[in-house]
Amino acid sequence: MKSKFSYNFILLLFGVIILTASCKKLDEKPKSFITPENFYTTQSQVEASFAASMNYLWDYWGGYGYGQGNFVNDDQYYGGDLVIEHNWGSDLWNAHYAAILNLNAAISAMKKGNLANTTEPDVIDQLMAEARFLRGYNYFMLVRMFGDLPLVTEDTQDPVNAKITRSPVADVYQLIVDDFTEAANKLPATRESTEQGRPTSGTAKGLLAKAYVTMATAPLNDVSNYQKAAEYAKQVMDEGVYSLVHDIHDVFSTATKYGPEIMWSYNSNYEDINTDPQIYRPGLLGGWGDISVQPEWEQQYPESPRKDAYLLTEIDGVPYQQWSDEQRPFIKKFMYDNQDDFDNYSSVMNMPVIRFADVLLIYAEAANMANGDPTQEAVDAVNHVIDRANGYVDNPQHPRLTTSLSKEAFDAAVIEERNQELCFEFDRWFDLIRKRILKEKSIPSIQQNFSDADYLFPIPDNDIQLNPELTQNPGY
Amino acid sequence: MLVVFSDEIKSQIALTNNETRPSETLVNVTFRYSKCHMMKTLKATLLLCCCMLCVKAMTQTKTLTGKVISADDSLPVSGATISVKGTSRSIAAGADGSFSLSITQQRTTLVVTSIGYLNNEFVVQPTQTNIIITLTKSAAKLDEVVVIGYGHQKKSDLTGAISSIKGGDITQLSTQRVDQALQGRAAGVFVLNTDGAPGGNTTIRVRGMNSINGGNNALIVIDGLQGGNLNSLNPNDIESIEVLKDASATAIYGSQGANGVILITTKLGKKGKPNVSYSYSYGIQQLRDKLGVMNAAEFAETANAYALTRNGSGATPVPIFSDAQIDYYKTHSTDWQDVIYRTAPIQDHELSISGGTDNVKYLISGGYLNQDGILVNSGYKRYSLRTNLKTDIASWVSAGLNWVGTKESGNSPPFGSADVSFLGNAVNVAPRWPATEPVYDSAGNYWVHPPGYGVPDTWNPLASAKEPLLDNNTNRNAINAYLEFKILSGLTLRITGGAIIENVNNRTYYNQKTYEGRQNTGLGIVDEETNSRYQNSNILTYDKIFKQHHLTVTAVAEQQYSKYNVSSVRASDFLVDQTGVFDLAGANIVNPSSFLTERVLNSYLGRINYVFADKYLLTASYRADGSSVFGANNKWGYFPSASVAWRASQEDFIKNLNIFSDLKLRASWGITGNQAISPYQTLSKISSGANYPYNGTETTDLGFYIANAANPSLKWETTTQIDFGIDFSLFNGRLNVSADYYKKKTEDLLMPRTLPGYTGFTSIIDNVGSVQNKGLEFEISGTPLTGIVRWNSAFNISGNRNKVLNLGDVDMLGYRTTKGGYSVNTPFMYLVVGEPFGQMYGYGYEGTWKTTEEKQAAAYGQLPGDPKYRDKNHDGKIDLEDFTVIGNAFPDFIFGWNNTFNYKNFELNFLIQGTKGNDLFDMNRIRLENPAEGTSTALLDRWTPEHQNTDVPAFIDQKTREEAGLTSTVAIGSDQRIQRWVEDASYVRLKNITLSYTVPRSIVSRIKLSNVRIYASGTNLITITKYKGYDPEVSSYNGNDAQIGVDFSNYPPCKIYTFGLNVSF
Repeated sequence: MKSKFSYNFILLLFGVIILTASCKKLDEKPKSFITPENFYTTQSQVEASFAASMNYLWDYWGGYGYGQGNFVNDDQYYGGDLVIEHNWGSDLWNAHYAAILNLNAAISAMKKGNLANTTEPDVIDQLMAEARFLRGYNYFMLVRMFGDLPLVTEDTQDPVNAKITRSPVADVYQLIVDDFTEAANKLPATRESTEQGRPTSGTAKGLLAKAYVTMATAPLNDVSNYQKAAEYAKQVMDEGVYSLVHDIHDVFSTATKYGPEIMWSYNSNYEDINTDPQIYRPGLLGGWGDISVQPEWEQQYPESPRKDAYLLTEIDGVPYQQWSDEQRPFIKKFMYDNQDDFDNYSSVMNMPVIRFADVLLIYAEAANMANGDPTQEAVDAVNHVIDRANGYVDNPQHPRLTTSLSKEAFDAAVIEERNQELCFEFDRWFDLIRKRILKEKSIPSIQQNFSDADYLFPIPDNDIQLNPELTQNPGY
Repeated sequence: MLVVFSDEIKSQIALTNNETRPSETLVNVTFRYSKCHMMKTLKATLLLCCCMLCVKAMTQTKTLTGKVISADDSLPVSGATISVKGTSRSIAAGADGSFSLSITQQRTTLVVTSIGYLNNEFVVQPTQTNIIITLTKSAAKLDEVVVIGYGHQKKSDLTGAISSIKGGDITQLSTQRVDQALQGRAAGVFVLNTDGAPGGNTTIRVRGMNSINGGNNALIVIDGLQGGNLNSLNPNDIESIEVLKDASATAIYGSQGANGVILITTKLGKKGKPNVSYSYSYGIQQLRDKLGVMNAAEFAETANAYALTRNGSGATPVPIFSDAQIDYYKTHSTDWQDVIYRTAPIQDHELSISGGTDNVKYLISGGYLNQDGILVNSGYKRYSLRTNLKTDIASWVSAGLNWVGTKESGNSPPFGSADVSFLGNAVNVAPRWPATEPVYDSAGNYWVHPPGYGVPDTWNPLASAKEPLLDNNTNRNAINAYLEFKILSGLTLRITGGAIIENVNNRTYYNQKTYEGRQNTGLGIVDEETNSRYQNSNILTYDKIFKQHHLTVTAVAEQQYSKYNVSSVRASDFLVDQTGVFDLAGANIVNPSSFLTERVLNSYLGRINYVFADKYLLTASYRADGSSVFGANNKWGYFPSASVAWRASQEDFIKNLNIFSDLKLRASWGITGNQAISPYQTLSKISSGANYPYNGTETTDLGFYIANAANPSLKWETTTQIDFGIDFSLFNGRLNVSADYYKKKTEDLLMPRTLPGYTGFTSIIDNVGSVQNKGLEFEISGTPLTGIVRWNSAFNISGNRNKVLNLGDVDMLGYRTTKGGYSVNTPFMYLVVGEPFGQMYGYGYEGTWKTTEEKQAAAYGQLPGDPKYRDKNHDGKIDLEDFTVIGNAFPDFIFGWNNTFNYKNFELNFLIQGTKGNDLFDMNRIRLENPAEGTSTALLDRWTPEHQNTDVPAFIDQKTREEAGLTSTVAIGSDQRIQRWVEDASYVRLKNITLSYTVPRSIVSRIKLSNVRIYASGTNLITITKYKGYDPEVSSYNGNDAQIGVDFSNYPPCKIYTFGLNVSF
């Protein structure tokens, strides 16, 4: 009996042990995908995050591929009415921040040394500079559209749960300048043809100049930045990596989409097309006529070879005023695809972000404003652009500038030159904003809709509702 | 030696103790004698006596045959256990109640027991060789044992809401599917046959829908092994099915219990000689009902009539078909539904051997099911083999083993919302192809639809059905073994280990005679999946009765691990059509993909069942689940429950009423969970696919992005349920009623929670939503007739009311249900806060404008004969502001009524089952009744000035419209989210009727058989419904319960006539 009891006791003990033992752990270790903690460990993984960040911006419907809609209220596009509603630009807000999320993750991983085992330090330096360049670009777009921003960097703890506030524009520009400066210092000056689509130090300097010239104007109006803008633009001009394409008709040809004039762009190829080219063409040319030109704006555009190259105002000699449908000019800049591509709904044109003509004009503007009146170098810079626009002959409709102009007159002329040269390249809206000339440049029939609130897009309602710490821009 | 004999004597004494028998006198005399005499004499006498007794017993045995019948209906009681009192000898009666037993020629007492009957003792007189034993049914089957989670309980001791179905009730039907057999059987259990394909799908909902994104499938537990599959089960192997419904019953399954639990117990042999039984059935299946489509001449005339309406802007339209062609079509018409549907056979063989000795019980069964589908090129085969074993190793330890292996191959051409274009979906296109089209052209190739009329973009229906190569195979192995130790009196430890291994091996090839194949120059799909689940449960049970207290304590530690491994390849652009998917190297485009997931669930649980004086019952349980899929901050979930019941019928003041043979009141409360979080959903994930030509070369560059934010707090969905129930029996158990009211609230529903855009994410999966279900359930069963005709009847009805309480950031979630091409590209199925699941939204439809309403019609720019939409806000326009509820997919009530009539050797069983108050959105009609291409006979019913009482709009010609000069304010464009396509899908159906005849034993025994039963059965013979589609029981989109209720080209159900035979010996 005793032995049976002890036997039972052992069984009971065994039972207790088996009741409390378990061998599988509850932590999850996924095997067929990777978490951010384990990613960004090689050069190509970091580069994959760069590609993804650009993919967000270059999304077919939401981003810049088809994104002119957000800038339709400038004076160039047809169809604007200066009524900026709630959630205006929210698609771009979301796209830029999604890009920033991925760039911050890559920057953070590099800072932690995730690449140290696989990659040479100088390569890591370049990748870091490139990530910061891309982040700086995203914030530069955002700050000009929305003003004060939730500033999410690699150091921000848990933006998903934390209720972060908006940082002042000046702080955002500090980050932009830091990021671009790092890129200007560390990125290579040129790229092999296998990497021709990637930014260079010149690209970073060009955008840095653009950031400084923007900081010199509204809303910061810190004119000390003109000097810095001029310096960086001058560096790009002096380095000789970039230059103007000689013939105005070749600026947007697919042969020149990676230089020498276009410094950095939204890239496309047949595996990743730009967009349906039909959106830019009138119905008479088989297009859908989605995006066209404000006739009033076209009418003040001086007759020149550039106007022929950039704007479509007639078909087979018939001016748009006499077309059977869509009696408006169209944007010829984006019609340099071949017919096959058009028929296949696949444009492989690039959409420039910055090109050498822009740098020349930034230099002209900044040097004039820093100096107090136009210097010869400033005049030469803008005249390069004007000469090409005129096909290198004198054009009374669009004469060259001279040093005899006043500071204000020269400045206005440069802004106007930007208006004509960089039209429809996501640039005009920002010039109207920073120079505070949106109302005066808008066509009279819509001016009654103008208010000062239009100088900023509204913060998206979604973000305001979910984070009460965010303030809305005035007027929304 | 002597001791042994003495024991024998004692047993003889015991056997004969209570009644006066000659042997007793003898023994008594012997004993008395022994007391008075010397030991030697005693020993000698004893020895002698014993020898005499033994010899007598050995030489004077006889074979006793008999039959066990029921006292109230004289029908056989199958499987009763007959034991010789005082010995360990016992045998089981056969299915027909008969038994044969070798006993001594003395008076012998037999103890006869059978579940559901009162135990009976029966004295066999020495002269009797053939006896009839009658058993009396125990009141309300209260001593029936019901399987509950991790144990079993007497039915009378239950405190929770459990519906119990006996295996025999299922095999009465000639069904091959357990899930379908559940339909109409249990209150609160909604079974929806979403499609009619062989081996097709069912949706089972216990007490409504709790979850939006987490899945609402009940947990299936087969012989204790969780996560079983109902499809592969052989119905003949089932001993019982229990559906656990309230939280008291399901909370023991914790994070898996929220959607109810279906417990399946398989059979085990009974002690006695081997019982071999064989069943065979053969059935023929036919399309239940065809869609009404026009014949060739009607179609040609209708197409012409429509063509002639195209006379706008002075155009002169010409008819499509000439008079001569129409004449030709009068004798040349193709019924495309006849072309793709066929009469298909189904046959089923089942063989089982079961039996047992004192120490071993076994069941071995094998089944073979071969079902051709009514759609050409569809079919289902299932081979199954089961071995159930139980053995007592020693008095303190026993072991058991259940193994089942099945091989299934189920194939069907794509139907419904399958992941291929509907243009090549035979079910979709067959009724849409005009009857004017032949099947083949003169060269014997599949006919290609000509342009100019009808549906030229669609593919030949027969080619679509017949040409795809479909080779889908699933092998399943489930093994479950246990050791059970009796540690102390009342204390047992059961250690179980089980595994379910599923291997899926699918090959599909669309050759170039199919639509998909033509689009892709051959399309091949290979899919290989291995799904393994392992479970170890260690169950300690203490069961003790002391005085009036009955206490059962259960403690369990359990671990489960599952691993799901998938690799698949999609290949296209094949050079050779003949080898196709079997030579992937011959494809120019090959896209492989693979993934692996693992999940772990560690659980501890305990339960106390306490019964006092058979009157007051208490159950309390508690489970802690640690799940790998929960977020890091919430790895463990806790699920308590408590319930009480009062058996009022045990109280004297109720007993004295003499009304109730049983009366029990129940109340329960508990919390259950739904752990349907996908593995790794709480982690942040890097995904591929955001490519961009970053380097600026001719190829794009890989882009990997952060696809979602981590949510370390993500946890189970929590359902809190209360239940009040009453069970009572009247008329000595002849009428049993059970009623339950329940209310459930499910919170922390997994929903995407919108994030601020500056986070870089759009949303994160979080616990935000909430849903409520409440309902009533009634089960009534009884025996209205007990005489020579016996009638057993069971009726159940239940209604569930569902309400969405919270959807997080939004008030409304839309679900798109479309394949494109049907002008329902925006959602019409919605979840709306404050409204039930299954809401359909669209434009109200009120038929057509009558001539007398010309003025009112003109206000909308419409003419008499035009469709009349509901102007909800009376603003003179029909636009999005008139959007309104146009239907709901879920029934107000579901019911089932099962009846069995017995007369002599005949048995008639029928099940009537149905739903009330559910709607279907019949997407098919959008194109079938489209004037420009439709084939539906509804177009013949179109509005004309002479025939205005119709909701089919007129063919109004363009010229008439132009001349009327009206401007339409019906601004819905081609949007087809209109009430016209919503129909009441309530139905009443004779689900099954079976007439069987058990051949009299006198005949059967001559051919050495113990039981022979033959039967004829019909399934889906009669359906009463207003629904115009193939069948009112359908759902084409089942990704989410919010999408249930759309009929789109699903495999239509069939009716089946079956003849069958059961033999056992």
